[in-house]
Amino acid sequence: MTDLLTPFEYDYMLKAILVSGLIGGVCAFLSCFITLKGWSLMGDALSHAVVPGVSLAWIVGLPFSVGAFIAGILAALTMGWVKKKSGLREDAVIGVVFTSWFALGLLLLSLYPSHLNLKTIIFGNILAISDPDILQVLIIAGISIIVLTMKWRDLLLYCFDEAHARAIGLNTSFLHFLLLALLSATAVAALQTVGACLVVAMLVTPGATAYLLTDRFGKMLIISTVTGALCGVCGAYASYFINGSTGGCIVVLQTLVFLLVLFLAPKHGILSLRKLRRQTTQTMPQSRIEKSGCAS
Amino acid sequence: MIQPLAIEVSNVTVAYPNGHIALRDATFTLQQGTISALVGVNGSGKSTLFKAIMGFVKPISGSVLLAGKTVEESRKTKLVAYVPQTEEVDWTFPVSVWDVVMMGRYGHMNFLRIASAEDKRMVNESLARVGMTEFKDRQIGELSGGQKKRVFLARALAQNGQIILLDEPFTGVDVTTEEAIIELLRALRDEGRIILVSTHNLGSVPEFCDHVVLVNRTVLASGPLEDVFTEDNLNRAFGGVLRHFHFESSTIQDHDGKTVKLLTDDERPLVFGKDGHLEYKDRFGREELVKKRKEEVGE
Repeated sequence: MTDLLTPFEYDYMLKAILVSGLIGGVCAFLSCFITLKGWSLMGDALSHAVVPGVSLAWIVGLPFSVGAFIAGILAALTMGWVKKKSGLREDAVIGVVFTSWFALGLLLLSLYPSHLNLKTIIFGNILAISDPDILQVLIIAGISIIVLTMKWRDLLLYCFDEAHARAIGLNTSFLHFLLLALLSATAVAALQTVGACLVVAMLVTPGATAYLLTDRFGKMLIISTVTGALCGVCGAYASYFINGSTGGCIVVLQTLVFLLVLFLAPKHGILSLRKLRRQTTQTMPQSRIEKSGCAS
Repeated sequence: MIQPLAIEVSNVTVAYPNGHIALRDATFTLQQGTISALVGVNGSGKSTLFKAIMGFVKPISGSVLLAGKTVEESRKTKLVAYVPQTEEVDWTFPVSVWDVVMMGRYGHMNFLRIASAEDKRMVNESLARVGMTEFKDRQIGELSGGQKKRVFLARALAQNGQIILLDEPFTGVDVTTEEAIIELLRALRDEGRIILVSTHNLGSVPEFCDHVVLVNRTVLASGPLEDVFTEDNLNRAFGGVLRHFHFESSTIQDHDGKTVKLLTDDERPLVFGKDGHLEYKDRFGREELVKKRKEEVGE
């Protein structure tokens, strides 16, 4: 029994668990918008594109999160610009831009080593997070939570029906930018927990999980945030015992929860859909089956 | 002094960033208490006109005035409500019927968009008007085509839009719901609103519109249905797109009671009489017109 409590005796473990939970929750909150807006790929791109900012911030002596945030925004703007000028498909543009930014980051980091080494940035190292870095994460998380709780309805309307949002006088360019800024900010915050490679999982998986469990956006936000935070806490805690990568633990846990829900969700789960299909085949003619498949 | 409700589009030209002119020198006026059809082929500038009225595109010349104010000024009053095409909406979105209709109230709410008792009352009332109250907790993807349309109409009502723009309102809608929607649009017209319906479904226009704006890269004609909806004008607007079935010497006999039955799989047909005048399905409600025609031919 006392063995289970040992992680809490270490200061660094306690910090890691709490910070992971916080970041997990904030990313999960945002993930509801990202999954519904179809920005999952964008999340992946931004989490890689912030890397050169970390290095540049170190060179000029700014907090790393400021540099990373600016790099994220610039990358998003570059994507918008290239897309407009080239007429290429969005996935091609994202592919070109984010790899260039990431490559630039790798180059800079190899030439000018910063306080965060390459391995930390790419794979995360929450166990070694310094107090000033924790402060940065707290500030980013705090601002994100405040903005999201105040503006989630506007963001929801923007994701759902941009034309209507504009027609009733919402500033949709601002909302677009706001969502991008939040995405960059949380990607930066999650960088040290799970690393640039796995940030996208934190920004997509909890939202995808919650989507399968409910048809109401309000509930989706709650389910997603709770799942994200719990996976963050439990993943960091479990990593102590299996002596594995914290980021890896958190994301594997999130994936397990997702798979569980994918099969067992009461309405949209694979098993219940199969059951529904069997019932309708027994009682209804062919046309009805198609319909119930669409409805769910 | 409150300006009477009207849409005044004067000499509007819209160009897209690539230099393509979508609409040239378009001019028309709609007065309050009308149901108007915006008719033209795909790519004729119908949606560009909608966007100009909603202020999504800025004309390079000309002006759009809503109740005497510019589009930007009138946006503050949430004057214009838009009912999107069914294909434009993501029906898998986790929102309920109630949530969608409540979105019509956002413009009237405070910064945090917390619904007041008045907002809830308006949403309930709007849902009742379109007959969707019992479906209010349904996820929107679980609705039929007609119910989906009604939800977005309810949102326009909740917004209290005085100018309601509908994009292809009858695609994927069964006949009964179509009648119900037309009934509702008439009631809204009688309240003094302006209903502008964009459609390429010609046959439905004489059934419920009293005003027609014909577009093909510009406004070809605008005015009362009887004046504008002529064979000549439609040929100008649609060019070679329309399929003609001309019953040159049809086989209808007097003992058939002069009745013809036309079947189409989806859209309503548009029927013209011998002199190119519009034919309606029923005489009921059009006694004036029947009398006028009789006098014209001296029967």
